Amino acid sequence: MSYKIPMGPYHPGLEEPYKLNMICEGETVRDAELTIGFNFRGIEHLAESRNYFQVIALMERVCGICSNIHTLTLCQAMEQLAGLEPPPRAKYIRVVMAELERLHSHVLWAGIAAKLMGFKTMFMTCFALREKVMDVLQEISGNRVNYAMNRIGGVNRDIEDPIALVLPIDELEREMMRTVIPIFTTSTTARSRCAGIGILTHEKALSCAVVGPTARASGVAQDLRRHAPYAAYGELEFEVPVEQAGDVRARLFVRALEIIESCRILRQALAKMPPGEIAVGGDKFAFVTGTATSRVEAPRGEVLYSVSWKENSRNPARVHVRTPTYANMPAVRWMVRGARLADTPLIQASIDPCYSCTDR
Amino acid sequence: MTTLETVLEKLGVAESWVESRGTFWLSPGSLSVRQVAKAMNEVKARFVTITAYQLPGAEGFRLEYHWDLEGRLLGFPFTIAGGPMESARIESIWDLCEAADWIEREVHEGFAIEFAGRVYEPLLLREGDAPGVNLREFPVKPVPGVQPQKEVTP
Repeated sequence: MSYKIPMGPYHPGLEEPYKLNMICEGETVRDAELTIGFNFRGIEHLAESRNYFQVIALMERVCGICSNIHTLTLCQAMEQLAGLEPPPRAKYIRVVMAELERLHSHVLWAGIAAKLMGFKTMFMTCFALREKVMDVLQEISGNRVNYAMNRIGGVNRDIEDPIALVLPIDELEREMMRTVIPIFTTSTTARSRCAGIGILTHEKALSCAVVGPTARASGVAQDLRRHAPYAAYGELEFEVPVEQAGDVRARLFVRALEIIESCRILRQALAKMPPGEIAVGGDKFAFVTGTATSRVEAPRGEVLYSVSWKENSRNPARVHVRTPTYANMPAVRWMVRGARLADTPLIQASIDPCYSCTDR
Repeated sequence: MTTLETVLEKLGVAESWVESRGTFWLSPGSLSVRQVAKAMNEVKARFVTITAYQLPGAEGFRLEYHWDLEGRLLGFPFTIAGGPMESARIESIWDLCEAADWIEREVHEGFAIEFAGRVYEPLLLREGDAPGVNLREFPVKPVPGVQPQKEVTP
């Protein structure tokens, strides 16, 4: 006999509201139904009534974790419509901010995953490390959540002493290599909670068109930083970690390796940062009629903005946002099929979901 | 690496790609969206999204279908008829491309566009609400004494 167990919309583990109805036979999940929309704020509609300054502030609030990525993607699209090319230094600062945000997001996720595994001490360790990343973000931007760094034609604030930021990056990498990664990769408890759990096969990952670490953990080697470079990524060297197993452990490995790669990118970007201006175009902009599309590799995967403008207008005619969790979340249905009910919170968390982004 | 010419061969069209502001665009001409989706499956392109726009007056809607082909963003714009108070309709590609499920449901909710050959319930973002209430502009009767809002010009 099968029965339905509603999980959500408010969860003890994950802080954002969504609902997953699990259809179970005994302790085994046979299918799942997903309901989203609890965080719907009508941001795409609101964007149509905001001018080109206000829309950046609005889109920064699509997500509380990857706020910088949303303004970066939007500004890149608006720059195409305004015919502006940001100066080289601004592109490097954008890379630094994007990678710090990736570190912050991945370390936060590692903490939540540790908590769901029952590793409460690791949760505290990860959040202490995250604080160090947030300190660096605050040092650069003056803010800890919505950084207000991106503007049309460049960035709002300079990094006056890039080399001084290398030390905290090195410290973070050392701590990750010394404690977090060895425990996640070698501990028996972590292995027993993650290995072979929530498998998304390579074929299903392709057919669901999942993105980011979720795709890379199922053997899909896609990363926009490598395949469609933006900002200064084309001038930096890094690897794209790919795992084949498609389980929770593979997603954990991919993110752990990405933390190391992010530190590597940050060191290069801070060392190579060219001198010069940080923005072009002044504070008045003219946009041509048409549509521009921009894509960026956010911590959770590809973000896409389609921005449409009418000439001589201060407001966008339309802003469409496709976020990574929007692409990844439908695949959870396939991940939980056949899993034990007790494993489903960790499986859901393994895609690092963000419902603020998804619902907009 | 799959070339863009290979995609043209699969689609059987004589048109050429136009690169503009981050996307390689191809006018689908007489091709249906399902023919495009089948060709994208054959070249193993990854579905990205559908962006819907309401065109002025009674011109209908423009739906831009996006796929990623090894880092290149491909765009196929489809214009569908539909006056402000009429229903607009296009074929669903959900059975060919399961990744299109949520976005078809969202466009249906936002613009009241019908994707033929599929069911939508429950609605994705605004369960229980009327389709089109979010992003579609319906003609509004002028209210005596109330001036319509105008955009602030610089």
